[in-house]
Amino acid sequence: MASWFENVFEFLFKYRPLLFERGELSLGVSWPIILVGVAAVVLAVPTVLRYRDVRGKSSARDRLVLTGLRTAALLLLLFCLFRPSLVLSTVVPQRSFVGILLDDSRSMQIADVEGAPRGSFIQETFGPEGSALAKALSDKFMLRFFRFSETAHRLNDTSSLGFAGARTHLGRSLTRSAEELSNVPLAGLVVISDGADNSNAALSDTLLELQAQKVPVYTVGLGRERFTRDIEVSRVEAPRTVLEGSSLIVDVTISQRGFDGETVRLDVEDDGRIVSSREVELAAEATTVRIHFTAADPGARIFRFRVATEEGEMVSQNNQRDQLIYVEDERPKILYFEGEPRFELKFVRRAVADDENLQVVCLQRTAESKFLRLDIDDSEELASGFPKTREELFKYRGLILGSIEASYFTHDQLRMIADFVSQRGGGLLVLGGRLALSEGGYAGTPVADVLPLVLSPAKERSEAEELAGPAFFSTLTVKPTPFGTTHPVTQFGPDLDASAERWATLPPLSTLNDLSSVKPGATTLLSGTGPEVDEQPVLVFQRYGRGKSIAFAVNDSWQWQMHHDMPLEDMTHELFWRKLLRWLVSYVPQQVAVSAEKHRYAPGESVSLLAEADDDRFLKVNNAQITATVRTPSGERFDVPMEWTVDKDGEYRGNFLPREKGIYEIEVSAMRDGVELGTARGFTESQDLDDEYFQAEMRTPLLERVANETGGRFYTRETVARLPEDMSYSGGGITVRERRDLFDMPVIFLMLVGIVGSEWGYRKLRGLA
Amino acid sequence: MPPYEGEYVATRWRRRRALALSAVSIIVTALFACLRPPEDLPSSSVMLQEPATPAKHEAPQTSGSPQDLLTLPQALQQHRNPEISNPGIPREFYFSRAAYTGYYRFRDYRSWQVDFPKADRQFLIGLRRLTNLDAFEAENPVRLTDPNLGRFPFLYTVEVGYMALTELEVEGLRRYLHAGGFLVVDDFWGTYEFENFQSQFQRILPGYPIVDLELDHPIFSCFYDVEEIIQVPNVGQGMQGGPTWESDGYYPAVKGIFDERGRLMVVINWNTDLGDAWEWAENPYYPLKFSTYAYQMGVNFIIYAMSH
Repeated sequence: MASWFENVFEFLFKYRPLLFERGELSLGVSWPIILVGVAAVVLAVPTVLRYRDVRGKSSARDRLVLTGLRTAALLLLLFCLFRPSLVLSTVVPQRSFVGILLDDSRSMQIADVEGAPRGSFIQETFGPEGSALAKALSDKFMLRFFRFSETAHRLNDTSSLGFAGARTHLGRSLTRSAEELSNVPLAGLVVISDGADNSNAALSDTLLELQAQKVPVYTVGLGRERFTRDIEVSRVEAPRTVLEGSSLIVDVTISQRGFDGETVRLDVEDDGRIVSSREVELAAEATTVRIHFTAADPGARIFRFRVATEEGEMVSQNNQRDQLIYVEDERPKILYFEGEPRFELKFVRRAVADDENLQVVCLQRTAESKFLRLDIDDSEELASGFPKTREELFKYRGLILGSIEASYFTHDQLRMIADFVSQRGGGLLVLGGRLALSEGGYAGTPVADVLPLVLSPAKERSEAEELAGPAFFSTLTVKPTPFGTTHPVTQFGPDLDASAERWATLPPLSTLNDLSSVKPGATTLLSGTGPEVDEQPVLVFQRYGRGKSIAFAVNDSWQWQMHHDMPLEDMTHELFWRKLLRWLVSYVPQQVAVSAEKHRYAPGESVSLLAEADDDRFLKVNNAQITATVRTPSGERFDVPMEWTVDKDGEYRGNFLPREKGIYEIEVSAMRDGVELGTARGFTESQDLDDEYFQAEMRTPLLERVANETGGRFYTRETVARLPEDMSYSGGGITVRERRDLFDMPVIFLMLVGIVGSEWGYRKLRGLA
Repeated sequence: MPPYEGEYVATRWRRRRALALSAVSIIVTALFACLRPPEDLPSSSVMLQEPATPAKHEAPQTSGSPQDLLTLPQALQQHRNPEISNPGIPREFYFSRAAYTGYYRFRDYRSWQVDFPKADRQFLIGLRRLTNLDAFEAENPVRLTDPNLGRFPFLYTVEVGYMALTELEVEGLRRYLHAGGFLVVDDFWGTYEFENFQSQFQRILPGYPIVDLELDHPIFSCFYDVEEIIQVPNVGQGMQGGPTWESDGYYPAVKGIFDERGRLMVVINWNTDLGDAWEWAENPYYPLKFSTYAYQMGVNFIIYAMSH
C-alpha cells in the first residue's frame, strides 16, 4: 500500500515523499515581490474591466466561474515563473561513514522465511560475493560493520558471523557503535535484525541520545511478524524460594500460533522426573494455566515446564522453560497468641504437628494473668507473656491472634503488631472468636489499619449479656470465591473440579463475628453463607507495607476434622492449615537477605548480587560489613565483597564472573560493630541461555520506533533497495546543498490542463463558446 | 433440695447392694448354664445384663445438621435448669459426659449417670471461676452414637467397670478418638473393673496399650502443678475418714492411651473418684485435700485437652 502510494506520489511530484520530508521548499524568483505584485495588478485591472463590459448571454454566475478558472490558471503559471525548488542536503560520496549493525544472536538461526534462516540475508548481502545493496552503500559511504547481540563489536569479516549470541540488547549495541563512530562524520546507523530484543531494558535513553547526536538509525527487519505454527511456554510465574514440602501453584502462560483449539500436555519436571502434568486447551493466542506440584526435595532445584514439540513448529526450543527454585529446609517460627482455652488451638497444632518446616509457638491465656507456653525453644521464651519489645516480636516470621481482646494489649503493643506487618514484613493472621475483630474492640486501633476487614466499634453489652454468651452467631457454609478457587491455599486437589467437589462436601463452620465489609484492595478467598448472614467474608487478605495480613473469621475450623461427615483419612483440615501457615510466612524478609539479579546468567556474564541488611528491629543498616561467599559448581569457594549502594538504605551490591556452568551457591554474612546481624543464602545459575528462542517473531513496532524516533526509516527485505538513496539525504555526515526544480512536476502540467479544460467545458455547457 | 438429688444420686451402699445382687445372679446363671449343653453358653461370661437401650434400634438424638448444633441433647433438655443460659448460643466448651450402655442398672439409673449431674455442675462452677474458659454452665450428656459427638472434643466417663458398649458405640468412640477427641475416665476400682474396662477398650482401640502417666507428663503441669497422685475416696469414706480404697484398688493411678503418633487420647483415673470430690466439694465435712486435688486434675485435663 505504502509502496503504491510512494510510486504515485513520485509520478506526480517528480520525487519520493522522503525527499520532500528531508528537503526545504524555496522559490527561485529574483524580482522583488512588490514589483511582481504591481505587475500583477496592472495586468489584472484591464482584464477585469474588459470582462465587466462583456455582456452577451452570460450571467453573473458564469462570469464568476470563468474568472475564477482563468485566475487559477494564471496563478499556476505565475507559480512556475517563480521557480519553485526543493533544497536537499546530500552526502558527499565516500566522505561520510555508515555503521552497519548485524544481528549475531541465535534468533537469526530461525528459518521462518522460505525455509532459510534469517541470517542468510546478511550473508548474501554482505558476504564475499557482494550484492547490489552492498555496492550501492559502499559507493556512497565508508562502511563500518558491527556484530551485535549482548553488545556491539567491530566486525571485519561478515563470514565470521556465527549467530550464536545468547541475548539481544539493542539499546546497548546502538550506544556502543555510535560511541565508536563518534569521531567520524556519521551519516547514520543501519540495524539489520529481527528486533527480538530480550534485554528487558528501556530504549528511550538510547534513542534520545542518538536524536541529540543527530544520528539517524535505519532499521531492516528480518523474519516473520507472525509464525505460522508455533507453541511457546512464554512465561512461568514461580517463587524463587519456598519451604520444603510446600504445595506450589505456578502460573504458566502458553502462547501459540496455528494451534487454535488444540490440546497439549504441560509437564513439570524436577531433575528429569515428572512431578506434575495437565492438559491445556489452546483456546486463545496466549493461555495462562495453573499447575500444581510439591517442592519435595530441599536445595536449589531446577524445575522444567515443558510442552511436547508438535509437528510443524517453527521453533522447538521455546517449548520449555527452566525455573530455579530454592527449596528451603528451614523451620520459620510463628507465634500463636490465644486469649482463652480454645479447641482451635489444639487442632491447629495437631494439623501442623507433622510439618517439619513450621514451628508454631503457642501462648495461651488460660486464666487471668496465667499463660501456657507450648513449643518454645527455651525457658526464657515468652516468659513474661506476649512480647513487649519489637526485638522480641520481630524474631517471629508469622503472628496469629486468636480470641484475645484489644484491651489486653498496651497501645505500644498494638502499634508493634502493626509494625510487625508494615515494617518487619511479617505475616499476621487474625482468627475469628468471641474476643476477636470488632467484637474484640479492635476498631480504631493500629491493628485495625493493618487488617483487610472494615471493623465496627464493639457494641456495649451488660454483664448479664456477656455471661449469656456471644452477641452474634451464625453457622456458615464456606465456599471459595472465584479468586479463591485457584489460590494455592484454598485449592485442594490436582484441578479445579476436584477442589470444587471437596469444598462442596465440607461441613459448615460457625462464626461469632459480624463482619460488614472488606477493605478496598483486600482479596476474599473464602466466603460463607448461613441463616444469619447472606454472605460473609471468611478468608481475606491484603498486602500491608512490607508484609501481609490475613483474617480467617470463623470460630471452629476444627469441624473439618471432627465432624462425623468427615472421613478419618480426610486430610482437608491438616492441608488447609499447613498451606495457610506456610503462606503466612512465605516471602517474609529476614534480617539479612541475598539474591542474584537474575536466576540465570550466560557463561561469562557478570553476576550482580544484591544483599539487604536490617537490625533486629528491622531498621535498615548502612554500615554493615557484608561478604558473600560464592561456592562454584565444582565446589571451589571465593569471597565477593559487597558495598553499600548509597542509593538505597540497607542495600549492598557485589559482582562476580562465573567461569563454569552450573549452580552457584551464595552465602552472605552481615556484621555490624563485631555483632552478627544474620546470614542468608541464595542461588543462581550459569548456563547457556535460550532466551533468543522466546518471543522470536520479528518485532516491527520496535524497529519502526527506533527508526522514527531517530529520523531514520524502517525497511523490509522487499523495500531495502531504497536504503542507499534514502541515506544520502539523511543530513548526517558531510553533505552539500543541492537545489532541485519543481516547476516541471507533472502535477502542475496536469492541473493546468485540468483548469483550461474545465473552462472550455463550462463554456460549451453554457453555450458561451 | 434440688430436684435432681433425690432422683439420681447414687450412693455407694446402693451400688454395692446392686453388685451383690449381680454376683448372686451370676452364680445362679452359671448354675443354670452348667445344666445346659455347652454350645448354648453365652460367648462372653461377663455379659450380665441386656444393654439398657439397644443402640442399633434407637434413633439418633439429633440429625447432625448445622441447626441441630444449637439443639441440646435430649437428656439435658429434660433436666435443664431454667437459670442456665440460652442453649441456642453455642459456647466454646461443654463438659460432656459419655452416656454409654452398661451392665449396671437400677430402675432408670445407669452406670454412666453416677454423680450426674451434680458433679458436672459443681465442677463447671469451679472451672469457670478458675479459668477464663467460655464453658457452658450445665452438664451435657451425649451418647457415643450421637452424630454430634464430634462437636464436643472433650468427653468424661465414669464407672467403666460396668461398661458394655454396643458395636455402634464402639465405632462411635473409636472414630471420635482417632479424629482428635479426648476422653477422661474416672471412678472405677480394683482389678475386676479394670479388666472390664480393658476388655472394652480392646474393642475400641485394639492393640493400643494402657500405660502409666508419669508426673513429669505435661498434663500434670499445664495449669496446676500436681506433684502427687492421691486417692480420692467416695463421699462416704471420705467424710467418715475410713479407708480410701474400694475393692482391691489400694493404689491410685493415672494411666493413658496414646495414638500411634504419641498423642494422648485417653486419660484413665483408676482407683480414685474425682467425680465424688466435685460433687461434694461444697460439703464442709468433705476433706478439702480431696476436692482440691480433684479440681486441679479436672482443670488440667481440660486445659491439656484444649491445647494438645
